[in-house]
Amino acid sequence: MSTEKNGHGPSHVDPDDPNATRFDLVREGAHRDGVEIVYYAPRFPRPGTRAERRIERFISLLFVLAGLSALAFVVIYIAWPWEYRPGTHASKLYTPLLGLTLGTSLACVGIGIVTWVKKLLPEEVAVEKRHVGESPSDERKMTAASMLYAVDETGVARRPLLKGALALGIAPIGVAVAAPIVGGLIRDPHKDNQLFRTGFDPANNGGKPVRLVREDYSPVRPEDISAGGQITVFPGIPEGVSNKYADSPTLLIHLRPADAAVAREKLNPLNEGSMYENFVAYSKICTHLGCPASLYEQQTNRLLCPCHQSQFLITDNAKPIFGPAARALPMLPIGVDDEGYFIAKSDYKVAIGPSFWERP
Amino acid sequence: MTSETSRRRPRSRARRRVGAALRLLAALTIAGGIYTVFAPGLSAQETPELSQAAKDGKAIYETSCISCHGNNAQGVEGRGPSLIGVGSAAVEFQVGTGRMPMARQEAQAERKPVKFTDEQIRQLAQYIQEIGGGPQLPPGENLGDGGDVARGGELYRLNCSSCHAFSANGGALSSGKFAPSLARPTERQIYAAMLTGPQNMPVFGDNQLTPQEKRDIIAYIRYMTTDPDPGGWGLARYGPVSEMVVIFLVGMVALVFTTLWIAGKS
Repeated sequence: MSTEKNGHGPSHVDPDDPNATRFDLVREGAHRDGVEIVYYAPRFPRPGTRAERRIERFISLLFVLAGLSALAFVVIYIAWPWEYRPGTHASKLYTPLLGLTLGTSLACVGIGIVTWVKKLLPEEVAVEKRHVGESPSDERKMTAASMLYAVDETGVARRPLLKGALALGIAPIGVAVAAPIVGGLIRDPHKDNQLFRTGFDPANNGGKPVRLVREDYSPVRPEDISAGGQITVFPGIPEGVSNKYADSPTLLIHLRPADAAVAREKLNPLNEGSMYENFVAYSKICTHLGCPASLYEQQTNRLLCPCHQSQFLITDNAKPIFGPAARALPMLPIGVDDEGYFIAKSDYKVAIGPSFWERP
Repeated sequence: MTSETSRRRPRSRARRRVGAALRLLAALTIAGGIYTVFAPGLSAQETPELSQAAKDGKAIYETSCISCHGNNAQGVEGRGPSLIGVGSAAVEFQVGTGRMPMARQEAQAERKPVKFTDEQIRQLAQYIQEIGGGPQLPPGENLGDGGDVARGGELYRLNCSSCHAFSANGGALSSGKFAPSLARPTERQIYAAMLTGPQNMPVFGDNQLTPQEKRDIIAYIRYMTTDPDPGGWGLARYGPVSEMVVIFLVGMVALVFTTLWIAGKS
């Protein structure tokens, strides 16, 4: 590339000149890249002054510190007790010490290099001219033409058979690539009518009513829950307390007698007969976005959802009284079997959880 | 029945009447006797015989509690609930954490400096226990001793974490109410809270969470609130989101200004 062509004016030195110094070549290289070194002078014109040695010592000290910290990091990484133990123990310091030693090491290296560059390297002022960002217009025209010509060469425009074969014959390869990735995301939401059923459907228990059980599958009796108390119950069927029935957790609440009287009086026709004595059972899955709504305030009889602050009034069919939830929590019709344990008399009468398209 | 007996063996009217009266008398005596044997508390309730501690407690009650809870602890409409049946556990929690006596009616009674000595609280608890009965705490201070931390963790996450948060730091409820942090109450107070359900906390009676399960939960809470955070500052254990926010707001801003400073000094 000649100097005239790149438009940066005459060159300072011929690179092939045997007398050219290294700095001459550096300056010529910068010049050809459009950078002019206009001022260049060493920081310490007389080498070996006291000030220069002081800076040298400072940088060396930083580098030694960096090395020592890095060594400490390696030693701690290998030898420090790292396994978690409860209580006050040296293992609790493992991560902070790693961070401290490696951080110190890197900081020392950084400060050392910055000091070196700012205090020891020669002072330099270089000027770089601004240049136009885009390529010359004739180059752009030629590049565009060669790209379009490649398309013309294939003759796709005048060969409709090839065009069709490309679209219909080759396209399935793309589908084949996408199928394993996308296919895993597709599930039939209507399989077994699963949006409308929970684990409390008697069909899961051979047609018999499903018991309400604790997280350890032990059944619950009415006398287990004090007035003003609540308990999370699950369907008493195999895997009932697993993610397979993640839509089934239910909050069983023992209302105080006065609150229960209010709740019984306000029961809507759908929930009629769903209470057992002073007990009510509502789905724990918030009707807004499906968080577990289980913050039960036993004096106000409000049930709160922690995610978006929806509030449901337990003494009035768990209807939403605050927040984004629009529908009441579904009520589980409960009773007691011959042995005195809670059962679900039937499944929920409406679909639990958030809204979906096909919901009536 | 009368016609049946008269058909079998006719008797004189007077003898029948005397016999019926005797049988009635015998039945009443037996029923009354059985009732007296099996309901000894009846007469005790009519003439309450308070212990000395309860009498001292009554004196405290009558100066500090009576205006809201009434002269027989029956409660005052719009001011304070009935204390019949709340038990000494409730007194120990409410008075022992300074929530009672209340300073004013507000969203919820908050923890305050305790107003009474331990001895006074014990007397007050004894008084409430003797007049109304109710749940009592087991003896001992460190009720979490012997609890299974792992089992307690499971029970905590199921029953407690929705309000008190996974970190035991507490959380918001409706209309200015909140579930408090579990770092400050003593182990007896935590036990009492589970047993009695103070304010809006649900009651976890001994049939729902057995005494051993309560001890497990307390052991877990003790572990959660005393165990040092591995890896340095826990940022109140809000989790990775708060850690990211801190790194961005503090760490990145510090880096940006350091870079500006270095460039400015050139």
